[in-house]
Amino acid sequence: MEKRKKLKPWNEAMRLNHRGLKLFCKRYPQMVLSRFISVIWTALAPYVGIYLSALIIDEIAGKRDMERLQFLVTITLLCAALIALGSALLGKWRETQNAGLGLKMLGIYSEKLFGMDYADLDKTETAELLSTIRQNQNGNGWGLYRMLGSYEALCSAVLTLLGGISLTVSLFLSRVPESAGAYTVLNHPIFVVLVIAVMLAITYIAPALSNKAVSYWALNVDSHRLGNRMFGFFGRLGYQREIATDVRMYRQDRMCEKYNRDKNNTFGSNGLFAHLSLGPMGFYSAASSAMSVVFTGVAYVFVCLKAWAGAFGLGAVTQYVASITKVSGGVSGLISTLGDMRNNASFLETVFQFLDIPNNMYQGSLTVEKRSDRKYQVEFRNVSFKYPGSDNYALRNVNMNFEIGKRLAVVGMNGSGKTTFIKLLCRLYDPTEGEILLNGIDIRKYNYAEYMMLFSVVFQDFKLFALKLGENVGARADYDNDLVLESLKKAGFSEKLTDMQSGVETYLYKDYDKDGVNVSGGEAQKIAIARALYKNAPFIILDEPTAALDPVAEAEIYSRLNDIVGDRTAIYISHRLSSCKFCDEIVVFHEGGVVQQGAHASLVADENGKYFELWQAQAQYYTE
Amino acid sequence: MIKKRAKKYNMVQNTWFMIKLAWTSGEKKVLVLSILSALLAVALNLVNLYISPTILSVVERHVSVMELLWTILGFVLGIMLVSAASTYVNTNTQYGRISVRLEIINLLNRKAATTSYPNVDDDGFSKLLARTNECTNSNEAATEAIWKTVTMLTTNLLGFIIYVSLLTSVQPILLLVILVTTVISYLIGNGVNGYGYRHREEEAEYERQVFYLSGRARDLCAGKDIRIFGLRPWLEDLYSKAMDAYIAFHSKAQSIYVWGKIADLVLTFLRNAIAYAYLINLVIQNGLGVAEFLLFFTAVGGFAEWVSGILGGLHTLHKQSLDISIVRECLEYDEPFKFDEGEHIKAQADGKYEIRLENVSFRYPGADKDTLKNINLTLHPGEKLAVVGLNGAGKTTLIKLICGFLDPTEGRVLLDGKDIRDLNRADYYTMFSAVFQSFSLLAGTIAANVAQDDMDIDMERVKECIEKAGLKTKLESLPDGYETYLNREVYEGAILLSGGETQRLMLARALYKDAPFIVLDEPTAALDPIAESDMYQKYNELTGGRSSIYISHRLASTRFCDRIIMIDHAEICEEGTHDELLKLNEKYADLYEVQSKYYKEGDAENGEA
Repeated sequence: MEKRKKLKPWNEAMRLNHRGLKLFCKRYPQMVLSRFISVIWTALAPYVGIYLSALIIDEIAGKRDMERLQFLVTITLLCAALIALGSALLGKWRETQNAGLGLKMLGIYSEKLFGMDYADLDKTETAELLSTIRQNQNGNGWGLYRMLGSYEALCSAVLTLLGGISLTVSLFLSRVPESAGAYTVLNHPIFVVLVIAVMLAITYIAPALSNKAVSYWALNVDSHRLGNRMFGFFGRLGYQREIATDVRMYRQDRMCEKYNRDKNNTFGSNGLFAHLSLGPMGFYSAASSAMSVVFTGVAYVFVCLKAWAGAFGLGAVTQYVASITKVSGGVSGLISTLGDMRNNASFLETVFQFLDIPNNMYQGSLTVEKRSDRKYQVEFRNVSFKYPGSDNYALRNVNMNFEIGKRLAVVGMNGSGKTTFIKLLCRLYDPTEGEILLNGIDIRKYNYAEYMMLFSVVFQDFKLFALKLGENVGARADYDNDLVLESLKKAGFSEKLTDMQSGVETYLYKDYDKDGVNVSGGEAQKIAIARALYKNAPFIILDEPTAALDPVAEAEIYSRLNDIVGDRTAIYISHRLSSCKFCDEIVVFHEGGVVQQGAHASLVADENGKYFELWQAQAQYYTE
Repeated sequence: MIKKRAKKYNMVQNTWFMIKLAWTSGEKKVLVLSILSALLAVALNLVNLYISPTILSVVERHVSVMELLWTILGFVLGIMLVSAASTYVNTNTQYGRISVRLEIINLLNRKAATTSYPNVDDDGFSKLLARTNECTNSNEAATEAIWKTVTMLTTNLLGFIIYVSLLTSVQPILLLVILVTTVISYLIGNGVNGYGYRHREEEAEYERQVFYLSGRARDLCAGKDIRIFGLRPWLEDLYSKAMDAYIAFHSKAQSIYVWGKIADLVLTFLRNAIAYAYLINLVIQNGLGVAEFLLFFTAVGGFAEWVSGILGGLHTLHKQSLDISIVRECLEYDEPFKFDEGEHIKAQADGKYEIRLENVSFRYPGADKDTLKNINLTLHPGEKLAVVGLNGAGKTTLIKLICGFLDPTEGRVLLDGKDIRDLNRADYYTMFSAVFQSFSLLAGTIAANVAQDDMDIDMERVKECIEKAGLKTKLESLPDGYETYLNREVYEGAILLSGGETQRLMLARALYKDAPFIVLDEPTAALDPIAESDMYQKYNELTGGRSSIYISHRLASTRFCDRIIMIDHAEICEEGTHDELLKLNEKYADLYEVQSKYYKEGDAENGEA
């Protein structure tokens, strides 16, 4: 993959970085503050040592006065201890504030995902965006992670620079005495400017070289990702328990082996980055280190010559060399940090592209009429729907009407649009064309949250959470215990419940709590049904509620459904056409449209109809 | 109960293990580069130690300008060379190290993917396996970071030796002072910082909770439920609770760590005070020059760093060694099944094999009753067998026994009269083409998924199998056809097959394997009535002359089988053809009645209408 990214222009890059910083300032102001204050301390503290040891050296080189030496040493030691104490305390604050930074970032993304329209959540682009963000972050901390570090480094560089300059100004101002003959050229302003220019040039070149080396990471990020992904898939395929039989039967370990041992892989010892490191990346990094040494050399020459000529003493030599090296470090740091921020901008852009996904669903304000008789009426009017990114209609021109308080069955072949129909009804998606009416009003005009209150759905791929059973059923932490028990009982879960030691307080599965209890597919389905009952919504929708159940359990559910559903409107989607018999009305979907609607008896009588075909396909095995 | 075993391997053995592994996996450069990196680090330290004092002494002595310039030039060139070389080496160290780590991951994955199936359900093994994850999952994990530790230890040891000879010339007592203060500071720091390590499970617990909850936000299936049932406040509330607990944990840890740092600063204060006092005394009494003063004082600090570097290095190595022990224990975990040491299965020319279960009982470890009791069953060559029963009756366990994933607690499973326990189990698995309920789709093309290989694919056979499995129309409508990628997490532009389509793909894969036995576990669960019926009609064509086992709780599916066995309460309670079992009028007939009732009534109603 030879995709190369272009660098962002500077102003754009800084805007993205600022936006990232603001995000954290708003959410975690203390965290940002602790980082900045710590960095101020760490950046400035070394100068105290540099300054004081210069005084000591001067004293040793000069008068060697015992008392003054003792005084200076005591001050130096105390200052060092105080600085260390400050660092320790600030470090404690910083680390506490920054604990779980990765988790906090995860939280930012999760919050976005929770609030997103389902239609967007379901888009491949969204998942790809998110996995890109995560992989960028995992690799080298690109994105929000690095942005925080960049600001810290920026602050550190600027302070180091300022501190260093204040200790070096006198180096350029102090004059070689006239008696030094030829050395007085060191006093000449042009010479001084020249020296500064050379130093700045070197200071610029070193980080530029190192940025050049780092940019190979950024530029080849896509191949880096594919490598990670392939490895992410094959690296631990064998660890997955649930597919262990399949893996053994098809000897998938061999495929894994091929990918896992591939040294040509992005990070392998014969891979892209290994080659880049042997070549340009290694070369530029090495050149960068060598270049920064040149700076030290120039600094030594200039400082020593001046000292030689008598401009200042030995202590000043160490002070100037140390602090000018720091200045150089500050400038390098500044340049490389800015470069880094620019490199990081395109990664931040991806982050914001994700965080900026708009909520496009129209959020109406109409209150849903709360009818005690639960008489709602639903109508689909010329509804067509395409999934985002798809050219094909999943539903085409659906017109239907159903009375509430009835039992409706939705049948059809795989891919005929049954589940899509439900998703539209529950407003997980809005129709591409046409409208859905509730009591004659377009459902988009209702308040979304209130509209959602109308539905209890058990999807075919429903999810229970690895949390407390009671919370799962009640969909909240402060659930109504009696109602939970009653719902579980109605769903046929009572027997299993008595086996659970902590009752409704038991955690399901083991992902969240080690002492959780695993439930089988059939049991999970019962809990999901209980959750739907607890909600007590006017519509209860069951998508393949018996797929995981054996015939006896299936019959049990069906015989109980009538009691369960009560006066609610029930919609079943099922491949087991036997379940349709309970329903007042059946809708037959075929290729995205409604082809038949009516009662079982009349539908099955139409021998040319789709329903008859479906029914026959199953019934032939049960009718002798 | 997991027995706490003594640590099998010590630090030296584990380091040696890694060195051998680097050597044998063709990554000798890892060792070379690590040594080189250590040597360069020491060299760099030494030139940096001498540069300032030497130059100062030249300035102080005021000999000649040329000497001054040459001295500076010499040092600068030296440092340039060493630091460029050091940077170059360090830029190149990581790839070989990654390859060695990947080698370990590969060994672990191989072990995990091929270990005797009972180990998969074994608590001891699965915990060990789960723990190997953190020993191998990043550049900082023990199996890679150990090279950094080894390099660092080498550097510090070399530095230590050199500085000892340097400082001994001044005052051996000074060495002792540095040694003692550094060791004490290290020990205190270590004791204090051990808090996090000792409580790492608590931390991991919170982390797991946060990961779990944020994982739900990404989960598409959960996304529907979250929106319909308004689960967001509940989940977010739990999220903040877990997060708070996590931060409180760290806050506590940090308030403990800070004492380590305070102890260190006090001891550093002491050490420096003694060093200053001694050196200044030398200055006053013995006329020590500025250059020497600077050199020795820097050396004092440097020596302390070597000492704490060695201690810290050993400590890190010890921790990493524990992790490597876990990896090795996992790799060496006992295998109850025979693989390469078992007897090879000789291919029968006619492809006909017979499997016999002889008085087989099976009880899961720790269970108080048998899941299967005294099963006697012979699967004759070419026979089509159906296994039916309620959820939890033991159907899946029976299949696992037949397929050799479990060994019976009592009795024997025989292949052509030979106990499968004596056979090479990997060979035995080649006897089956299976479609299980949970399957492993590979990240790769559809063709590769059918062939279970991505290089050597017989495309004609792939197409034939896809067609038999009823997936041809769908696949040929895709722009990339059989070369379409699956798994969107790995490949951009990959497609997602529906449940029914996946099931058909898995069927095609089983057909491609063309093994003597076909095992189908609920292969129609995700199919619509017409597709299901279609599958039944084609069953004979699909299985050809091979033996097959069909597991289902839909009784319609059993018609086309030669023999049906019904499992109830751990035993085979009925056996025969569909008609025979109906005539028997017991459990099978009851079950059939339950299922067919609605269809029959339907007919009746229809008749009446």
